[in-house]
Amino acid sequence: MVIGIQSRILAAWLAILVGWAAWCPAAEVEARLDRDTVTAGNGALLTVRISGGRAGQPEIPAVENLIIDLRGQNPQVQTFNGRTTVSVTYQYAVGSNIPGDYQIPAINFTVDGQQLSTQPLKLKVLDAAAAKPPPGIPPNPAASQPAGDEPADSGDKRFGFLTVELAASARKHAYVGEIAPVRIQAWFPIDSRAQLRSGVQPEGKAFTLHHVSDAPQQTQEIRDGNRYLVVTWYGGISATKAGKYPASLSVQAVVAVRDTSAANPRMRTGSPFDDMFVPTIQKEVTLKSDDQQIEVRALPTQGRPAGFTGAVGEFKIDDWEIPNKWTTGEPQQIQALISGSGNFALMDAPELAPAEAWKTYPGKDDFTPGDVASFAGSKRFQFSAVPRKGGAQEAALAFSFFDPAAGDYKTLTSPTKNIQVAGETIADDPATDNPATGGPVKKDSSLVAEHHELSPAGPLIPLVSRPAFSAMLVFSGVLWVAGIILAWFRIRRENPQRRALAAMEKATREALHRAGQCAAAGDVPGFFAAARLAIQQRLGALWNQPPQAITLAEVNARIPHDSPVARFFDEADRHTYSSQSSGEILPQWKTLLDESLASLTTSVR
Amino acid sequence: MNKNLLSFLFHILLGSPAVMAADTACFAEANARFKAGDFAVAATAYETLLANGGPRASVFYNLGNSYHRLGQYGPAILAYERARLLTPRDPDLLANLALARKAAAAFEETVVHPRLDALICYPSRNEWSWLVAGAALFVGGLALVCGLVNLPRRGMRQAALASAGLASLAIAAGSACLYLRRDESNRGIVLSENAAVHLSPFETAASLGTPGPGRIVHMRKESGGFHYVEVPGTTLRGWLPDKEVGAITPSKDGK
Repeated sequence: MVIGIQSRILAAWLAILVGWAAWCPAAEVEARLDRDTVTAGNGALLTVRISGGRAGQPEIPAVENLIIDLRGQNPQVQTFNGRTTVSVTYQYAVGSNIPGDYQIPAINFTVDGQQLSTQPLKLKVLDAAAAKPPPGIPPNPAASQPAGDEPADSGDKRFGFLTVELAASARKHAYVGEIAPVRIQAWFPIDSRAQLRSGVQPEGKAFTLHHVSDAPQQTQEIRDGNRYLVVTWYGGISATKAGKYPASLSVQAVVAVRDTSAANPRMRTGSPFDDMFVPTIQKEVTLKSDDQQIEVRALPTQGRPAGFTGAVGEFKIDDWEIPNKWTTGEPQQIQALISGSGNFALMDAPELAPAEAWKTYPGKDDFTPGDVASFAGSKRFQFSAVPRKGGAQEAALAFSFFDPAAGDYKTLTSPTKNIQVAGETIADDPATDNPATGGPVKKDSSLVAEHHELSPAGPLIPLVSRPAFSAMLVFSGVLWVAGIILAWFRIRRENPQRRALAAMEKATREALHRAGQCAAAGDVPGFFAAARLAIQQRLGALWNQPPQAITLAEVNARIPHDSPVARFFDEADRHTYSSQSSGEILPQWKTLLDESLASLTTSVR
Repeated sequence: MNKNLLSFLFHILLGSPAVMAADTACFAEANARFKAGDFAVAATAYETLLANGGPRASVFYNLGNSYHRLGQYGPAILAYERARLLTPRDPDLLANLALARKAAAAFEETVVHPRLDALICYPSRNEWSWLVAGAALFVGGLALVCGLVNLPRRGMRQAALASAGLASLAIAAGSACLYLRRDESNRGIVLSENAAVHLSPFETAASLGTPGPGRIVHMRKESGGFHYVEVPGTTLRGWLPDKEVGAITPSKDGK
């Protein structure tokens, strides 16, 4: 009977288990790519779906050069015809920057204790330049129409590009020594995030970049119908040798752009929220401008004026000042202001004309930039000149430069000024000192002659870079601290209160010594007179008044009558004025004196 | 450097007339070679004199002239710049340095502003340092004297206070100038026309550009015969072989 019941219960349990197993769906895993071919730099969408059981996040095996980036997970619970299905979907962006055939190995799962795995997947990554839409798959919007924001042939330009514009865009050549102003612009898609990792750098060997603005401008601009965030620098490019060289610039940046290729086109509804869920691809890129062959020409030797000193650009004489009255052999100062645009660094002061009538000396100059890149501006010159010929003369300033736009030299001359030079004509160069610099330096294109006197040897390393400098500073600090400490001691020593106290102590000691001598000699009046003086010294310091002015009446008025001081004072007065010249000095008087002094000592100190 | 220092002390403290006479003779001989147009031999003689007799402004200046005549503007500017450390206001030197810069199309960087530069660069860094150290010692000595004795007259106390104020101003001004010119201690000059700045400290590394001879660069760290340099006023920076760049102020080990 019992066995029959147990058998029925067991059979019922088995029936329930079998029924539950039939009713529950089996666990499944699935992995699929939304495309099997992508271009380098773009991504495909990998979807991994786990249904019918619980499992952790899939661990996708690493594949060399293949980037697999989790974009999100989506748990779902579905009930259909009374059957409930639980599933989790993981989405990954998969791509590579290196073309090739890749295989994503099988992904293994443990779902409710059951070992499951997906099928291996293949992904072909094409070179971006050679990419063609695979048959049956619509063209990659990121490659052909990259998010609708890039030019069709941009390739990696979906991350941005760099443009360089010469100010004189019509001219395809430059001259040695010329600084050609350029505008450099980095263009990034408006919906991207960009972070610059370097400054603008020249790519070639033959050119250098100058005066690049430290704070680039940021604007939004539309180019070819697309909107970009544009970072703009201003600078100058120059070449130091003649020839034909490729010139381009580059800048490094990290750019994150929306990967529209990773979004499932079927999920795009045209809603403005579509792009919110589009994953981004971040890439470290080097934006490089297009190579431009720039011909660098040497400055022509033909037609070069004698006064040409290397200025290249476009200039004019704005202001000038030549004194009216001169004396031969005596220098005076001349001023000139030249403005324009060009290489001010290689510009020298204008020359006095006629050159043979003058001897000029190098002076000083002051450049005032007119723009952020220091191409335009003005330079003020001050230099000294000495007339060599006497009499009435005409003087003017002449300035020669090379105009790269015209490809020719130009000489500017200021209006002629009539001047009067006193004194005799000087046949040879006068050995006058240069008033501006203190030395006899001739302004000439040739070198100043060598020195003939051997100067004393000296250290090239400045004192500040030597240990002696620190030692001197430390020593001076020690001196300073020692001075402060000594001053503190001196001021303390010279304090009048301390000096008065010391004098009082000395007088008290002397009075007590005399009292002791009187006591030994049996001189009672002398003992009391000396002892009273000692007490007066203490009271004088205490009450801040002369000791001799303290009387018994004042003591009685300020000190209780039964105090040792008052009692001793009273006794001392009695013995002093009682005309008793002899007698015995009782021990209690000495004791009373000691008590009096002890009661005052504490107060005084 | 130790050799130079010993030689310097020997000359200054002991005043050896024999050594001085020998140096003077070498200098005269080098000058004679220069005058004869034998600039390469003159340059070698000047270099020898500098190696044996220590840094001298006149020798550096003449050495710069020799290299200038040879058309080697990088070494010429380096020699002029070293002479400038010793005689910063020598008009001959400044004129020839400007000529060399112009010939090499090498631009001189400004520290802060052209006008302010003219002021703070008028004395050399060595002179500024001596001003700061001297003023600091003066203030310390004055504090010691005032600590030891009580200046008896009011005028003396006012004079001491005024001089201490002036010395403190000198310390502040000198320190500010030394701070603004702190980068000068690692300046270098590019020596040759084809000196290329490399991406990394290897001969085979990609070239980033050629700064040009005579160009001032800021020398940073050193690695395997290369110096990391930054070309002021440009974005060019990278590794330059040690043989292509010369430090204006030699390091303490004499390099």
